[in-house]
Amino acid sequence: MAVKFFVNGMPAEFDGPEEVPLLWVVREHLNLTGSKFGCGIGLCGACTMHVDGTAMRTCIMPVMMAQGRHVTTIEGLSHNGEHPVQKAWTELDVPQCGYCQSGMIMAAASLLSRHPDPSDADIDREMTNLCRCATYVRIRAAIHRAAKLR
Amino acid sequence: MSPVSRRCVLTGAALTAASLIVPIGGRAAESNYEITDWIAIAPSGEVTLGLSQPEVGQGSYTALPQILADELDADWQRVKVRFVTGKAAYKIAFRQEPPAQKEGASMSTTALFGRLRIAGAAARDVLIRAAAQQWNVDVAQCRSENGFIINARGERLSYGDLAAAAAKLPLRSDPPLKDKRRFHLIGKPLPRLDTVGKCDGSAVFGIDVMVPGMLNAAIKTARAFTGQVTAIKNEAEILKMPGVHAVVKLAALAIANEDAGVQHPQLPNLPRHNAVCVVADRFWQANRALDALDVEFDGGVAADLSTVKIEAMLEAGLDAEQGVTALERGEPRQILKERAAAVIERRFLLPHIAHAPLEPVNATASYKDGAVEVWGPVQSVSACQEAVAHAVGCAADAVEVNVTFLGGSFGRKIVPDYVLQAVQASKAVGRPVKLIRSREEDMQHDVYRPNAGGRFRAVLDDRGYPLAVQARVAGQSLFGAVRKSWLDHTPEGACDESMVDGIYNQSYRLPHFLVETVDTPLPIPVYFMRSVGSTAAVFFWESFITELAQRANIDQYAYRRNLLANDPLALRVLDAAAQASGWGTTTDTFRGIAYNCYIGRGGRFKTYVAEVVELARIADGLAVTRVFCAVDPGLAVNPNTLRAQIEGGIGFALTTALKSRITFANGGAEQSNFFDYPLLGIDEMPEIVPIVLPSDRPPQGFGEVVLAPVAPALAQALLHATGRRLDVMPFPEDAFRSRA
Repeated sequence: MAVKFFVNGMPAEFDGPEEVPLLWVVREHLNLTGSKFGCGIGLCGACTMHVDGTAMRTCIMPVMMAQGRHVTTIEGLSHNGEHPVQKAWTELDVPQCGYCQSGMIMAAASLLSRHPDPSDADIDREMTNLCRCATYVRIRAAIHRAAKLR
Repeated sequence: MSPVSRRCVLTGAALTAASLIVPIGGRAAESNYEITDWIAIAPSGEVTLGLSQPEVGQGSYTALPQILADELDADWQRVKVRFVTGKAAYKIAFRQEPPAQKEGASMSTTALFGRLRIAGAAARDVLIRAAAQQWNVDVAQCRSENGFIINARGERLSYGDLAAAAAKLPLRSDPPLKDKRRFHLIGKPLPRLDTVGKCDGSAVFGIDVMVPGMLNAAIKTARAFTGQVTAIKNEAEILKMPGVHAVVKLAALAIANEDAGVQHPQLPNLPRHNAVCVVADRFWQANRALDALDVEFDGGVAADLSTVKIEAMLEAGLDAEQGVTALERGEPRQILKERAAAVIERRFLLPHIAHAPLEPVNATASYKDGAVEVWGPVQSVSACQEAVAHAVGCAADAVEVNVTFLGGSFGRKIVPDYVLQAVQASKAVGRPVKLIRSREEDMQHDVYRPNAGGRFRAVLDDRGYPLAVQARVAGQSLFGAVRKSWLDHTPEGACDESMVDGIYNQSYRLPHFLVETVDTPLPIPVYFMRSVGSTAAVFFWESFITELAQRANIDQYAYRRNLLANDPLALRVLDAAAQASGWGTTTDTFRGIAYNCYIGRGGRFKTYVAEVVELARIADGLAVTRVFCAVDPGLAVNPNTLRAQIEGGIGFALTTALKSRITFANGGAEQSNFFDYPLLGIDEMPEIVPIVLPSDRPPQGFGEVVLAPVAPALAQALLHATGRRLDVMPFPEDAFRSRA
């Protein structure tokens, strides 16, 4: 039976094996490639999307778990990059190689929805995504900046 | 073979897909006029600037066009950047080797600064001449400004209006360059041009490439570096799995080798097939089929490779009767022998480590009738072309390489082993194939940063400063493994200067000085990694200086200041870092200081760096709170991207100092993913205080320079705080525990 869910507000349907990770369904069937593959075991967070508004690591999330739920990818976070987190990220020029940043932005947006004005301790605890370029100084600054832009 | 394609029906309007047309390669749009190899101008006035250097995160995508646009006097708001390849102008020489189009050795800005200025100025010159002709006035009455040529009467013609005429005029090889006081872009902290695409998901990395008719491949490689495929037991069943097209055995590749095909004399020949891939419609199908594939590998001739053996080799190398002399000044051997009882000795060790870019290596290749086109994260276009040409038997120029954004590389994606695998897979199935390595495959089949051990011995003079020093570094020689043409040949054997880079070429006052290397060859694929040998050598060297200063009971900063007294540029960064950090005003803060002059390959540049690492007490021990980093980078073309390299480079070095270690057993690497090869997290990232000193020197290399001093400065700070010497990287987890 096909899995039916919503991606960036649009209905989507997948009739393959229900344990296929959501990441690959979104990347390969919906051609939304902003979410990245990094580790395949849910550690690095490059694949982070929102499922019903909460950040999820989709490289280990079977597509069946998205049944009936609303999935948001970096492409659907805002029109024209206008989400406060994207604006802050752009203002502070956070990315270097950029590969982790879609996931970082999705994780930060999720954090801000729960903690509108997060402390450094909140950021340390919640932002567990990995950045090999170590852009963490600007990630932290951009989260604080986004909190002000909201 | 039944290509049962899985369906994902979009009910309702189509989703907005990211643009997957790779914005690279090909020709400029027809309506663009090519003014130089680097610059095309559309009648609309839009300027397209060529970028020859892959963007791996270092910021070349912005800083290099900035140089062109400044000399061109272009309107920065109307500039577009396009990756370019295929012309001699895009190649640079790193040392004594043929010019190549690649990013590496922190060389891009240094090597291209002059060339891009001339290209921009030559284009501005023909635009001025075209305008002068149109107005029928002397060129001296015309000037350029922000995308326009303006004459003495104040009339203006846009670059778009002039492009057609300018493209027909001959270029001058020596166009007048701007006075640097007139730079309007160079030296400005401009925002990166690739930021927006990297914040909305539209930037195309290698893993995102889609080409028509493309299949996807997942790969499994023999665990042991010398292993090979011995049996595939269920190929028929695998071929029946949904979407699967083929199971392809892949030929082993020369180990990370740009000296193509040359084997180390002390190493065994490589096996014929060391990997197998499954090709399917979708990557997830290929991956599932690969999981189900019953494939057997043997361990090959070096199946007994292990960390225990490697470290024993290293220790033997450190204690060998003789090393290869890299440098000998004065009479170090005699003094150390005569004053044996006074010799201070320290030994150090660090392991092989993996690049671990967050984007695992991947490539898309299309092989058709002997012609090959490649798309992907490629750090060296030239190395990729040469390797593919060698593998398929065509001319290097016939290999078309389309460079995407690179999701990290740090040297890894210069080696095109993964590209060759995609080419083999495409050849086998007759269609374009994208091959993606899993994280485990990426990590267990990296081309590692070599291991190193250090044995340092010294005798101090009566004031406590070094009289005679012997610095020996042993380990798997990088040049010996992959770049034999860069070895220096001496009567004692081949010397690999990368092993002692940051030791033999510094300006410390050392009257009697011996620097030696000992190669311990291994069947482990190795390659250059960000900051190369200096990560090891500078950790050893600066930690040894720390030891000597402590023995002499002299302040660490003062000790270095004394030894570097004859090098004003060294003193400048050292003083700047010390002053910024409040050195000498310690309350409950522990600090460590380290210095390095990062010297480009072949002496192409000198970037001076001094860092102070600061620790503070936290509840359960110590934490790195701030790192002060003073640099003299020459002219900073873009201070924004330069600061980003300081911040990120220090974080990268902290991962190396605290976490990175690849160990070996049964012929292969033991670590496989981020749970056993962790990276620094945001909770461990200190505040970074950059101090960028002004300089009249041209731009010096920068992408790698801040890494090396981090570990020795941190070790010194921890020594002050805990009394414990740290001589092995990565530092043990309890190194941050406070002194009881």
